[in-house]
Amino acid sequence: MPPKQTKGEYIETDTGNKVSRKSVILGSQNIILGGKTVIQADCTIRGDLRRTVAPGQHSGNVAVAVGRYCFLSRSSVLRPPGRTHQKTFSYYPMKIGDHVFVGEGSVVEAALIGSYVHIAKDCVIGKFAIIKDCVRIEEGTVIAPNTVIPSFSLVSGRPGVVIDELPETAQEGLECRSPNHLIQ
Amino acid sequence: MPPKSRPSEAVAKPPTTLASSVVIAETASLTGTFPIKIGANTVIHPRAKLASAHGPITIGEHCIICERTHIYPPDAEGLVIGDGTVVEVNAVVEGSVGAGSVVEVGNCKLGPLTKVLEGEVIEDNTVIFGSGQRRIDASGTADARRRLLERHIESLRVLIPSNPSKFIN
Repeated sequence: MPPKQTKGEYIETDTGNKVSRKSVILGSQNIILGGKTVIQADCTIRGDLRRTVAPGQHSGNVAVAVGRYCFLSRSSVLRPPGRTHQKTFSYYPMKIGDHVFVGEGSVVEAALIGSYVHIAKDCVIGKFAIIKDCVRIEEGTVIAPNTVIPSFSLVSGRPGVVIDELPETAQEGLECRSPNHLIQ
Repeated sequence: MPPKSRPSEAVAKPPTTLASSVVIAETASLTGTFPIKIGANTVIHPRAKLASAHGPITIGEHCIICERTHIYPPDAEGLVIGDGTVVEVNAVVEGSVGAGSVVEVGNCKLGPLTKVLEGEVIEDNTVIFGSGQRRIDASGTADARRRLLERHIESLRVLIPSNPSKFIN
């Protein structure tokens, strides 16, 4: 008789994504995960808040697109931003690049997050914010809606402002490879 | 092999009064013993927690209660959330909230990660932002914001599958 398979906490997909069983993934058909992304327990992804004014087809209606090697920590929330445009309210897709680390308890409602972004814990990224590549956002930062954070910035405060510039070599330090040491 | 059944949790189901046009997600959690009353056209996102263990909850019309919020009235006086209020993600509401607010009294806006202490009364039209700074919002946009909120609710009605019958006792 084959040995009983222990149910780990993480479900591993064929592209190498590790999704915790205790995460709250709503509307999973509208969520794209690049490979090797880790989603920890209690993380919420609102794929159900999709664009209602779809241009014709239903199948290409992505609400949240996450890149490769991302790490979404416990209790983080990814929510597509929504606003009223020409008399109708609609949610817009959220796109997250590769090697993005979202810290515990952070709420992300940005429109676009580039690659190699490190968001520390307890941050709030406002609606329609655009965060470019290689940015480090410190703990407890609140980024106002519609802000654009340029590349290679260090952001902190409430409201989140660029307090420092990261060196060109920052990309190496912001990589999220080998997440296996963080989860078993 | 049949799935292992959990011992049934002794979660009290509160007496609820839900208006017919409420959009309430199935995974919202309404617990407690005191009555919970939810007004018309209100949206309760998945995983919102309304716990009326110590006091009743009354939520007005056209409100949006986002996910991961905790609405916990601390005493028997209960908690009233006025019409047109938006309670955003991760908010904890333990005091009464006036109409038209984004989490707090009379047409106020509480920015992210702000805290209002026990017993504090915030004047109408206050905006709390940054690290505790406050200002009075005199832009007179309350009606326009209310119209935007109603459109928001209409689109949420399409997106969130509602199951009010699960919560009616």
